[in-house]
Amino acid sequence: MEAPPVTVMPVTGGTINMMEYLLQGSVLDQSLESLLHRLRGLCDNMEPESFADHELVYLLKGQQGNPFMLRARRSLLHPTAPWHLRYLGQPEVGDKSRHALVRNCVDVAASHSLPDFLNEMGFRMDHEFVAKGQVFRKGAMKVVVSKLLRVLASGNTENTEPMSLSYLVELSILAPAGQDTMSEDMRSFAEQLKPLVHLEKIDPKRLM
Amino acid sequence: MQQREEKQLEASLESLHARVAHLKGSLQSFILKLENEHDRLAWPSVLDNFALLSGQLNTINKVLKNEKTPSYRSQVIIPLLLSPDRDEELVKLTEQRVPVFSHEIVPDHLRTKPDPEVEEQEKHLSAEAARIGPEVAQKQIQTLNKLCSNLLEKLNNPRDDRDSESSALRQNKPSFNPADTNALVAAVGFGKGLSKCRPPGSVPPGHPGQPTMSTGPTLQQVTIAGTTGHQAGMGGQVAQQQPGQPGKMPSSIKTNIKSASMHPYNR
Repeated sequence: MEAPPVTVMPVTGGTINMMEYLLQGSVLDQSLESLLHRLRGLCDNMEPESFADHELVYLLKGQQGNPFMLRARRSLLHPTAPWHLRYLGQPEVGDKSRHALVRNCVDVAASHSLPDFLNEMGFRMDHEFVAKGQVFRKGAMKVVVSKLLRVLASGNTENTEPMSLSYLVELSILAPAGQDTMSEDMRSFAEQLKPLVHLEKIDPKRLM
Repeated sequence: MQQREEKQLEASLESLHARVAHLKGSLQSFILKLENEHDRLAWPSVLDNFALLSGQLNTINKVLKNEKTPSYRSQVIIPLLLSPDRDEELVKLTEQRVPVFSHEIVPDHLRTKPDPEVEEQEKHLSAEAARIGPEVAQKQIQTLNKLCSNLLEKLNNPRDDRDSESSALRQNKPSFNPADTNALVAAVGFGKGLSKCRPPGSVPPGHPGQPTMSTGPTLQQVTIAGTTGHQAGMGGQVAQQQPGQPGKMPSSIKTNIKSASMHPYNR
């Protein structure tokens, strides 16, 4: 009796390659209220969702230069909710005229044994932070206004301090690869938030 | 001659009626929207509605100013028959608003003078205008025109340098700090300023620090004997061996893969 064939490549199922379109900016604490008011008016009318998340970033160092980065995120407000694991690829260096940062994005949910699992796999936690803020939605677009807090003692999310006096504002859309009309919508939405916030395409490599 | 005037009057009344009907329609739909969908309404669509109404009012103004329209002031409407009975025709014409053509509704609907308060205000304004004299009035008109044209020019010609200087002068409180933006994006992107076992600062990310020592034992359990020497060496010499470590790392990982490939299903 023959053993059933074992596939060499992992079975990926029918997942579509999702890309994340991203624009980022920041707003000072004192102007936060006006920004929230404006977002409440512009975005879909629903109660703004608050969130408090603890994000851990894991790196796997390989033979080559670039380490492989995975982001594990859990909610501090809903401790029993599953963890969220995300991979973000390198930003696509397409044409410069594209208004948003485009990168490959893979999201999965994971159980609470995720940190141990990643450690066993060989990943090491590089840094962690807590993000607290609100999420707004407009159609497919998602606006996240969050305060980044530095975790002072590793693993202890009670003891945190704000990283700066500003809130990070991110406008993002998750779409299948190939749809480029999103960046136009994002740009017109970003125009409506000026001059409170300047949302722009910021290349993280430039800030290294 | 009279016939021509009559025809003109009729035509202008027709077009005025049509425009007013448009305005009424858009007002109705706007009110409906506000009443029924106010929780789903977004500011840009409310602005659109207002813009539509203002456009329609503009066209009505244009119709009234058109040289072909005769002066309505010279026309007089005299009610010929008033009755307290309900008139079905009238009800149909006015969409249920005016059921009876009687003594009560005639003063309201056929009036030609504005409200007494409005009349008072108009008298005040014209007295004021007469008082200040024509030269002062002319100067005021010119200043207003100049202000409007300046404003229009600024709105129509956005320039980057004007934006930067006016934003510096206009409000001393910018609502965002670009340095903060960069710091936050760097923190979210690759953890700049967030390293957990180093003081927050400019230490480049990605060099194996203390955590590798604590997980040393776990790795040793998985890999086969040949690499334990490497692991201990790596754990022991953390800071000084930076250039040497990349040389050691590849071998440990290769061995990991080798050991992992000897799984029981490989037949």
